[in-house]
Amino acid sequence: MNTTGIRALQPSRLLPSIRRTTEKGGYRCFSCSIRQSLQQSSPRKVPPQKDEAGRTTHFGFETIDESLKESKVKGVFSSVASSYDRMNDLMSLGIHRLWKDHFVRELDPGSPSVSGSLHSGSEEKGWNILDIAGGTGDIAFRMLDHATTINSDHKTRVTVADINPDMLAEGKRRALETPYARSERLSFMEANAEKLPTIPSNSVDLYTVAFGIRNFTDKQQALHEAFRVLKPGGVFACLEFSNVNNPVFNYVYKRWSFGAIPLIGQIVAGDRDSYQYLVESIEKFPSQPEFRDMIKTAGFMVPGQGWEDLSGGIAAIHKGVKPKTSSS
Amino acid sequence: MFISRSLRAKATQLRSSPLQIRNRRRSYYTVDHPDPTPFSETESAILSSALSRVPTHGFSQKALKLGARDAGYLDVSTNLFPRGTFDLVNYHLVTRRMALKEEVQFPELDTQSGNKLGVGARVRILALARLRANKDIIGKWQDAIAIMAQPSYVSASLSELARLSDEIWYLAGDKAVDASWYTKRATLSAIYSAAELHQTQDQSPNFIETERFLDSRLEDLRKVSSLAGGFGGWVGYTAQSAVNVLRSKGVKI
Repeated sequence: MNTTGIRALQPSRLLPSIRRTTEKGGYRCFSCSIRQSLQQSSPRKVPPQKDEAGRTTHFGFETIDESLKESKVKGVFSSVASSYDRMNDLMSLGIHRLWKDHFVRELDPGSPSVSGSLHSGSEEKGWNILDIAGGTGDIAFRMLDHATTINSDHKTRVTVADINPDMLAEGKRRALETPYARSERLSFMEANAEKLPTIPSNSVDLYTVAFGIRNFTDKQQALHEAFRVLKPGGVFACLEFSNVNNPVFNYVYKRWSFGAIPLIGQIVAGDRDSYQYLVESIEKFPSQPEFRDMIKTAGFMVPGQGWEDLSGGIAAIHKGVKPKTSSS
Repeated sequence: MFISRSLRAKATQLRSSPLQIRNRRRSYYTVDHPDPTPFSETESAILSSALSRVPTHGFSQKALKLGARDAGYLDVSTNLFPRGTFDLVNYHLVTRRMALKEEVQFPELDTQSGNKLGVGARVRILALARLRANKDIIGKWQDAIAIMAQPSYVSASLSELARLSDEIWYLAGDKAVDASWYTKRATLSAIYSAAELHQTQDQSPNFIETERFLDSRLEDLRKVSSLAGGFGGWVGYTAQSAVNVLRSKGVKI
């Protein structure tokens, strides 16, 4: 009786680990529920078929059809929305809060009321900030706090956009604990960063995306869209996990992220696969110079070398400024 | 076989991308192809208008933001300058250094002695011209010195100072290729920064006090170097006589 029980368990338990070692990179264990739902809608997508869409992207280490990535990412973040902070704490060894504080402080949002400006009209309106993939409002609340308390600017407003309604719901819930919940300075919208039809061109002062852009299906398209909505002189700023520079530290960090994080995800949140996706998506994200060049391709000017490493490159801040006379 | 193939591949790669080579930073200096200004058009536009705000607002984030607005940009555009106010200070340093070449014309003869202008006199004229270029912002220059003294900016500030004294010696026509190449630049850097510090307290018209200060420091330098030369002569003479005395006693040297 015992033996049958063990035998029944064996295929489902052991097979994934065996297959992971044999076909490295080809297979990744994704949440069974999501895989089942995908299998119902379409048969196996690996290798990708040349259908009308035809274009592929990566989802962690897996190569999938572009059309599928959005829903798969949605699945991951819906399942981690409530434990989002805990997840970030694990992935960044607890210092993502410091990175976010630094990110906002460097951007210095809000216009202090300065006299002697030639364009006094613009200073009264404050900044129009668009926080993409900012569902839980982490960056948005920090921006508003900084503008209000540091620059005494009560006009700057933030629009939080996220593709995932579960993350937005989490953000709205958290907003109730801040003074901005019922003010006009904070608004939420559900949107795909590759297409922002509701946002007019040349309307945004500051476009931020913190720990979001690596989940986008077409990053270059998102950058072009950012370029479109920004005012001339407006700034694109991105905070994202990146490549560690020191090889020794990189080895330790990779051991930590691939060895420990999925396990902790399994224990803490009972969801190994979402956490596995998160570490794989970090690994697949372009290196600092590559991403800097993508920002340049979209038409931005980059300040200095184009990025700033945080904690030895675990994360990096990329910035781009839209030129006044855009060529495109 | 393998090596030669990879070399050939490299050679064709080099040949096929002449544009890339032209754009690369040269590791040597040539007068025929002077380095272009390190600031892009947008950066120059914002920084130069920010610099004109410095006399009232100091080397501050506020001056930068106002400069951005004056140039038709937004407050947020100051993110173009990752080092913030230091980039503003650096812009002043670099543009003033590069302007020296255009602005300074040497007179044929020395106004005081009537002799032909020597290298030392030219160094004096160039250093004075550079100090006078601080005229507009000298009231706020102490802020800038404080910014430059911040640990993260010290090395950038010192290398800019080294570039300035190198430029001055080069423009003065100094051709030394011995150890004095280093000592000249080091001493001029020390003298120039002391004079600049003195200048921040100088209330006299047209910086007469600073000019005097600079002259006396350069005079000190001449004295010290002639003293060092004299000391060297004395050591040489004494050693020579000691050897001669020993020889006269029959020691075979």
